[in-house]
Amino acid sequence: MSLTVAAAKQAEKLRIDGNSYFKKDRFGAAIDAYTEAITLCPDVPIYWTNRAVCHRKRNDWTRVEEDCRRAIQLDHNSIKAHHMLGLALLQREDYTEGVKELEKALDLERGASPKGYKVEEIWQDLARARYLLWEHESTKRSWDLQNLKETCMAALKEKHFLDTSQVEGFVDENIQSNLEQLEALNGVFNKAAEDDIPTDVPDYLCCKITLDIFRDPVITPSGLTYERAVILDHLHKVALIDIQLSFPFIYMHIFILQCHVLILNFVIFKVGNFDPVSREPLYSSQLVPNLAIKEAARAFLETHGWAYKTD
Amino acid sequence: MLGLALLQREDYTEGVKELEKALDLERGASPKGYKVEEIWQDLARARYLLWEHESTKRSWDLQNLKETCMAALKEKHFLDTSQVEGFVDENIQSNLEQLEALNGVFNKAAEDDIPTDVPDYLCCKITLDIFRDPVITPSGLTYERAVILDHLHKVGNFDPVSREPLYSSQLVPNLAIKEAARAFLETHGWAYKTD
Repeated sequence: MSLTVAAAKQAEKLRIDGNSYFKKDRFGAAIDAYTEAITLCPDVPIYWTNRAVCHRKRNDWTRVEEDCRRAIQLDHNSIKAHHMLGLALLQREDYTEGVKELEKALDLERGASPKGYKVEEIWQDLARARYLLWEHESTKRSWDLQNLKETCMAALKEKHFLDTSQVEGFVDENIQSNLEQLEALNGVFNKAAEDDIPTDVPDYLCCKITLDIFRDPVITPSGLTYERAVILDHLHKVALIDIQLSFPFIYMHIFILQCHVLILNFVIFKVGNFDPVSREPLYSSQLVPNLAIKEAARAFLETHGWAYKTD
Repeated sequence: MLGLALLQREDYTEGVKELEKALDLERGASPKGYKVEEIWQDLARARYLLWEHESTKRSWDLQNLKETCMAALKEKHFLDTSQVEGFVDENIQSNLEQLEALNGVFNKAAEDDIPTDVPDYLCCKITLDIFRDPVITPSGLTYERAVILDHLHKVGNFDPVSREPLYSSQLVPNLAIKEAARAFLETHGWAYKTD
């Protein structure tokens, strides 16, 4: 057996050891095992990402970043590495790069398993990252705007003072118009800051069930738009209905006819096949992606980053 | 006609009200008649004139305020500079930046009143106009109802963009987009302009 094959076998054994330590929450031991595996075979990306997961559990974000970068060097398409690198960058407040890494991770995950739970997990992290990025940038904008406003208000008041001391008479009118000017200037600054002030997302961009801004809106034949995941959930709901309780008349009839058949006491009904608001019949095959609204929601989030906040 | 007369003598607010009333009544009486379209065109023109009138005043007031503030800021810079010795270049730079920033603030505040492009998702891909009565097809694409019906009757039973088979019974009103377009027109009255 050549040296490299033996090393690979040993490294794999160490990885499995590491995995079992991890399952028992023994992160230090797991890290040691993965480290040994890395020493034997440094070019296997999964050893690095496994170790990074352990570092994350211990909130050792510097090491998370190191290991993830190494893993990405070895495998550009490592979803785990991009995901954790994104989170590590958020930790050290590099929001722009953090968002980029999480976008990459989401892209790759969607390509690999579009309906998996991991897509939702990464999406949540990405939304949080975009919110943090907006918060960081808008705090600076607000600060700059506030400073500028104070400077301009002061300048305007000085000007009023100088102008007034030069004009004789008509003092009351001047005071009034000066106050109006200051008020108007205040209004201008408020308007300029508008997009950064969290308010309500417009109704037509929100699902009537979740009350959150749309991510993947679909429209029903009644013309109403819902969040895809939520309306599918609604349509697939099943209910057990106890015949004895709900349809006693029928039950009695069957009993009286003395059918020698085992009577099922329960019947499974699909109760959800209707539009939640219009109550018209609805099947999942009738749902159409509302591409225009999806684009409208995306455009809104771009200029109103506060709306990324998930509760 | 009272609406049109009011527009003539520039009472735009009342003119719009009268035309809205006329449109309502006409829609109730004969929803598919040609008169609905005629009144609608007049109403759109009226709303545009109303916006133009109001935004001209807003722009004028904003311009005056901006000039006053720019002057005040420059005076302040002058007074501050003459009191500070040394560090003159840095001050000049930061003063210029301040004036530029103030200009930016006024531009941002005036943004909604400056005609630009209506966002793509609010316009029909065929007419390129903002939606009035948008309908969505099974391919997920949204068109102006009158135009897509016209297409289906004259050209053929397929979606103009996706080319998938399409029948008028499959058209669904895109209520959310209709509301989005209405909200956009409320804050961007210049988009009422019809060519």
